[in-house]
Amino acid sequence: MNPHGPVLVLVETEEGRCAPITFELLKAGSEIAQEAEDALCAFVVGHDVSGPAEEAAGYVSRVYVADDRSLSPFQPDLYAQVVHDFCLSLKPLSLIMGQTYENLEMAPKIARRLGTDLITDCIRAERDSASGHLLCAKPVYGGNARAVFELDASPQMALIRPKAYEPTIEGRSKGEIIPVDCRVDPSLALTESLDVVSGEIVNLDQAEVIVSAGRGVRNIEGIEKLKTLIVALRKRFDRIELGASRPMVDAGLIPRSRQIGQTGERVAPRLYIAVGISGSIQHLSGITGSEKIVAVNKDAEAPIFGAADYGVVGPFEEVLPALIEQLEELP
Amino acid sequence: MKPPAIIVCLKIIPDPSGPASAFQVDSELKKVVPSGIPPVINPYDENALEAALRLKTQWGGRVVAVNLSEKSMVTILRKALTVGADDLIVVEDPDFQDLTSQSIAGALCAAVMKIGSYDLILTGRQAADWESGQVGLLMADMLGIPAINLAQAISIENGKVVVEKLKRRGHELVRAPLPALVTVSNEAGELRTPSIRAIHESRKKPVTVWKANDIGIDPQVLKKRKLRELSRPPARASSCCMVEGESAQEKGRALALKLREEGII
Repeated sequence: MNPHGPVLVLVETEEGRCAPITFELLKAGSEIAQEAEDALCAFVVGHDVSGPAEEAAGYVSRVYVADDRSLSPFQPDLYAQVVHDFCLSLKPLSLIMGQTYENLEMAPKIARRLGTDLITDCIRAERDSASGHLLCAKPVYGGNARAVFELDASPQMALIRPKAYEPTIEGRSKGEIIPVDCRVDPSLALTESLDVVSGEIVNLDQAEVIVSAGRGVRNIEGIEKLKTLIVALRKRFDRIELGASRPMVDAGLIPRSRQIGQTGERVAPRLYIAVGISGSIQHLSGITGSEKIVAVNKDAEAPIFGAADYGVVGPFEEVLPALIEQLEELP
Repeated sequence: MKPPAIIVCLKIIPDPSGPASAFQVDSELKKVVPSGIPPVINPYDENALEAALRLKTQWGGRVVAVNLSEKSMVTILRKALTVGADDLIVVEDPDFQDLTSQSIAGALCAAVMKIGSYDLILTGRQAADWESGQVGLLMADMLGIPAINLAQAISIENGKVVVEKLKRRGHELVRAPLPALVTVSNEAGELRTPSIRAIHESRKKPVTVWKANDIGIDPQVLKKRKLRELSRPPARASSCCMVEGESAQEKGRALALKLREEGII
């Protein structure tokens, strides 16, 4: 362990900026660094990433930048090599990354090659002041239990789940931007990308209201009823999205980009309306950030009512039209 | 293309679709004690097995199922043979308990080496108990073969594996030379149901049992994961306000009024 190493946050970028999760990672990183008064640094990897690097500099003491043409688009073997090599030279005490599809693919390799361990899907990471170890909390058994793992060897690597931390808001630092000499050997790539098929762009994570369909909604006609509610709510809210639990996606009724839950998106709207969703723990783990949850389900015993603030027991085919009618009458 | 040899790694876990009450947390022993739910093959590993069987249907070859555990549950694992796996190998040792992802991957690699030649290794994207999602990727790194994470579809074309790999939005088509390792997501499809005849015939298929020393693993070098604490997750501090009414329509109207009253709408 290198007790004097900095806390390093791997920056996530999108469209020339820091992705929203980056500010959550910086928040996690700053809390960990503060406990031991370690330096907080950021690492930006990619090509043409001066934008996100400058943005990140507002939050940390140093931003390291590995910029190379072969680092865009993402290729896991090449990214793993760059992060690995940089960690060997910087010797961070902790390495904080986001729980993204890309990081899930490369982080285990990095951890193994650095001779350290990695905890994925963390909802909290704290420094144990006595030992300097990193304590990583994560839901296990589908969210039915909460484990705290202890990481000793450095870098202590944690992937942080989106929405687990509030984004950091203070950006008053003037961090130094330091280019990293990264020699990327393209022959290290063991896989080749043939094509990218982009899915529908859905901003579930920015939505104020989500109306979500579960198994009980059954078919396209049912989904139409939810869409009618969405139209009615548009008069009151700007950002409303249709969501779904996994059975509706598995049945091919709603695209995967709208799936909410453990293997889908994590959401934190002001209002989450769960229609025909029984409330498996895997689904609930994706909606716990919601301010208010409304559940409509014909089964009074459905576990969703245990998580909801307001519940209606009844067939949604009858409840929703009446709800919409009353909404229209309200000023 | 010669018929491929495919290895599928299977883990046994308490049925993750069980209700919350079925997962008792023993904080002293730092264990989850399942109550009233059966052990099952990890659903994501079943997706991997299904993907393997579809490749076998197209290309022929063999599908070998491998399980590593402290105490094997052959009766549960036999399901793999009933749906069409050719061999089942269980590697059991009391020391295979509470291991780190890297130690599990190391032991599975030792089993793979003993099996010998292979073209493709498939694992589930993660196990629905500890949800780490690392073992398959670590195996590929240890074996020095390409890895592709989170497959929703797998095919073999001109002797290479071509995978539709999930992205947060959409997917990427990725190709790698064989041998390779692919982790499989639920989008790849549910495991088929065996026919009665297949169940009957599978009883003749042998099950191979290995111990740690059969695969050249010294249990003493395996690392245990450092679990500091295991607890029940904090309950959501809300009590549900049930909206009442004579009919479903009345409840729907009452819900609108309630949401207005509370200043939500």
